[in-house]
Amino acid sequence: MKTLMELLNSFWNSPVGPKTAHFWGPAVNWGIPIATVVDTRKPAETINGRMTTVMCVYSALYMRFAWMVQPRNIHLLICHASNETLQLYQLSRWASAHGAEERGSK
Amino acid sequence: MAAAKLQALWNHPAGPKTIHFWAPTFKWGISIANIADFSKPPEKLSYPQQIAVTATGIIWSRYSTVITPKNWNLFSVNIAMAGTGLYQLSRKLRHDYSSEAAVAKE
Repeated sequence: MKTLMELLNSFWNSPVGPKTAHFWGPAVNWGIPIATVVDTRKPAETINGRMTTVMCVYSALYMRFAWMVQPRNIHLLICHASNETLQLYQLSRWASAHGAEERGSK
Repeated sequence: MAAAKLQALWNHPAGPKTIHFWAPTFKWGISIANIADFSKPPEKLSYPQQIAVTATGIIWSRYSTVITPKNWNLFSVNIAMAGTGLYQLSRKLRHDYSSEAAVAKE
């Protein structure tokens, strides 16, 4: 059983740890899903359908990238998997709002 | 001669048969959307968003040189992101601080 200190040390000195860009790249990317969580509380009319669709393609591509890059970057994979989920949710909200709009005008 | 070079590009480890090509290539679309926003009035720009874009660009430029395969496509798109982010930040700062100076004089 590793002690807490040993775990912290192995994280700190990890070849993909906080002393490396392999950590900070994904870390800064978390800004996108976090901003999206904030946006889920806003009304669906404020959603930009085009940008949300772009984000869906973007995160799908980067999930694949995170898996194939050397060294494999699970942190990045989780970040983009989260964003993909959130963006698809936002897209469904946008689609419902637009569907309702069309039905209302008929 | 040209055919040999084209073949080398086609078969490159970060070439068009791989995710290492398509992920950064798609990201250019986002930078281009940013450039379209150069004509947006500074009041409509968001400090958190532009800081995030700039920070992402800088950190990812470094990240793209330490991964395997080294990815110059990814490097250049992130330099562009950092550049457009910095430009947008300077526009907004100049607007906010020159307006304050004008108001303070009154």
